[in-house]
Amino acid sequence: MALRFEVVGRFNRARAAQLTLPHFVCQTPLFMPVGTQGTIKGLTNNQLEDIGCQIILGNTYHLALRPGADLIDDLGGLHKFMNWKRALLTDSGGFQMVSLLHLADITEKGVTFQSPVDGKPMLLTPEESIQIQNKIGADIIMALDDVVKTTTTGPRVEEAMYRTLRWIDRCIAAHQKPDVQNLFGIVQGGLDPVLRDICARGLVERNLAGYAIGGLLGGEDKDSFWRVVAQCAAALPENKPRYVMGVGYPLDIVVCSALGADMYDCVYPTRTARFGTALVPEGVLKLKHKVMASDERPIDPTCSCMVCKNYTRAYIHCLVTKDAMGSQLLSYHNLSYMMRLSRDLHMSIVEGCFPQFVQGFLRAQFPKGDVPKWVCNAMEVAGIDISACCVLHPSSQN
Amino acid sequence: MIGTIKGLTNNQLEDIGCQIILGNTYHLALRPGADLIDDLGGLHKFMNWKRALLTDSGGFQMVSLLHLADITEKGVTFQSPVDGKPMLLTPEESIQIQNKIGADIIMALDDVVKTTTTGPRVEEAMYRTLRWIDRCIAAHQKPDVQNLFGIVQGGLDPVLRDICARGLVERNLAGYAIGGLLGGEDKDSFWRVVAQCAAALPENKPRYVMGVGYPLDIVVCSALGADMYDCVYPTRTARFGTALVPEGVLKLKHKVMASDERPIDPTCSCMVCKNYTRAYIHCLVTKDAMGSQLLSYHNLSYMMRLSRDLHMSIVEGCFPQFVQGFLRAQFPKGDVPKWVCNAMEVAGIDISACCVLHPSSQN
Repeated sequence: MALRFEVVGRFNRARAAQLTLPHFVCQTPLFMPVGTQGTIKGLTNNQLEDIGCQIILGNTYHLALRPGADLIDDLGGLHKFMNWKRALLTDSGGFQMVSLLHLADITEKGVTFQSPVDGKPMLLTPEESIQIQNKIGADIIMALDDVVKTTTTGPRVEEAMYRTLRWIDRCIAAHQKPDVQNLFGIVQGGLDPVLRDICARGLVERNLAGYAIGGLLGGEDKDSFWRVVAQCAAALPENKPRYVMGVGYPLDIVVCSALGADMYDCVYPTRTARFGTALVPEGVLKLKHKVMASDERPIDPTCSCMVCKNYTRAYIHCLVTKDAMGSQLLSYHNLSYMMRLSRDLHMSIVEGCFPQFVQGFLRAQFPKGDVPKWVCNAMEVAGIDISACCVLHPSSQN
Repeated sequence: MIGTIKGLTNNQLEDIGCQIILGNTYHLALRPGADLIDDLGGLHKFMNWKRALLTDSGGFQMVSLLHLADITEKGVTFQSPVDGKPMLLTPEESIQIQNKIGADIIMALDDVVKTTTTGPRVEEAMYRTLRWIDRCIAAHQKPDVQNLFGIVQGGLDPVLRDICARGLVERNLAGYAIGGLLGGEDKDSFWRVVAQCAAALPENKPRYVMGVGYPLDIVVCSALGADMYDCVYPTRTARFGTALVPEGVLKLKHKVMASDERPIDPTCSCMVCKNYTRAYIHCLVTKDAMGSQLLSYHNLSYMMRLSRDLHMSIVEGCFPQFVQGFLRAQFPKGDVPKWVCNAMEVAGIDISACCVLHPSSQN
């Protein structure tokens, strides 16, 4: 184990922690931007540090393709290659393969696929995935799991869950650098609480450095989503980080944090920026909309990022309709927003005002009180009273 | 530029020492529109750029971008790219739009022809440029805060160039540009026009060679007496994976870059050279826009450094040494192009030590 996880504040299931990794000391809950090709689209390292980014996710699949794991290893690892001084996490490569390569197939050996470079049949095994990740050298590495969409039914879900447990042992055995790289296991099991429980227990038995909740956000309804997160978070150890993969929308992050999760990653903030959409306390702001053309306010008057301090909506509107710089500035703001959200979650839990933070967050997003039912359900389980924000629950008032 | 330098924020532009940015009136007038910019307080405020701005007249883009553009005495007629309607950009309209945009320097609408054009069209364009400068002057509403520059035309014909330059000088403008170059002419013709025009323009006013360019061209034109330059080259070549370095260019997409751990330019102190290796940028340029962004940053830093070096070496009295060092880096075998040697001879700068072609005259 090469990390320390110290809880410094709590509210019911929610916790604020200090996660000490080889390259950086992080505060959780935290959001990790996705730097697919070894870079966050549009932002320099200096800018990422400016906005308070603590840890970046690199996609092993893309990095192994180009520039290649051996080259990265020869040049001293991904940190040195990118010149990123803070923390890095790499995923196993499995997800990209399954989602990007329609000819990918999963067997007990590993993930077989056609190389996108030359079409040759290739195989990504748990051993190979860990070996590649060892070369890349990230602070946290992810086990290769057998992941199925939550909309899958039938025996495939159970098969994938048990295979994930068999593969974690192969990952552990293959891991060459447990003293400097932290191997996280990933809980699978679809939407089946029994399967999820078996998988969580199995991983916990292996005494890993940290745990992820995987296989979500593949089309399931939101009520199923939060229930799986709640169950898994409760089944995972108190003293180790819990990472919900692929989350996501700010609202989802707030809910998952209330349910006891610590880490998140998603392409959403940067991807939505490329469509001209900014993240704001009220939800989203579409900069391509005509009304933005003469709006002299910053994207978010409450935001103190470089973009909001220097540029108006009118200017960014002009850019997003015709220049990549628009996407770049929006990516900068959106990631700043996510970093601020992470900081606010951490601080509000530490300072004992987490429920107030959640209420403020929900009021801004749902000013008419139309908080979605799944959020209300989740917050009830999380023990956070949001009745003052919801018009659906007139009976229980603050 | 359409209100932004591709890939760089204002802070980054200031960091690298950018003093003045050029805005294309054609693009700005199309979107977001001159009136909107005016309503929002001018382009400086719209972009939040605190330093200087220059806008061109809009004429060049029209002629180069719109194949249905046509030039008459009234102005440039073209088809609106928005809805196809016939439109007309007059000298008055160009100045009016530029008044609304509010840049520190505005350019007169000129009748520009390619240097490869021959025949009466060249002379027609030169005289029309002189007639239009008077309409521009008359239309200019803000001479107290915006400087109108005239543009010398006349193709490659020294007689025409002389008439045009004199005509503009008579109008006592704030500054002068040398236009219509870099349209396909050979380099020897290029520098000779620059030399002639620079000599014909007043000593005490800025001289701006439009569309230049390559670092070598900038050094030569500066030796010949020019002061200001603009070009899309540094940022455009960045988007093709090419970096500007003292030796010339570095092609980051080349395979050999994949494991090269040096910075793009070991002599460069810009943020990119201080933080990233060629190997990393090679990885990016082959698959991510970030590569172009970092190269744009470096290339513009390079140009800003070149500007500073030109200024400082002239101030400190070591300009010839700077030119020699520049040429030695670019032409280590001494194969300095003849046109450069010719131009430096006229400029009175001894570069014999850099050229294997002139073994007779040694330093």
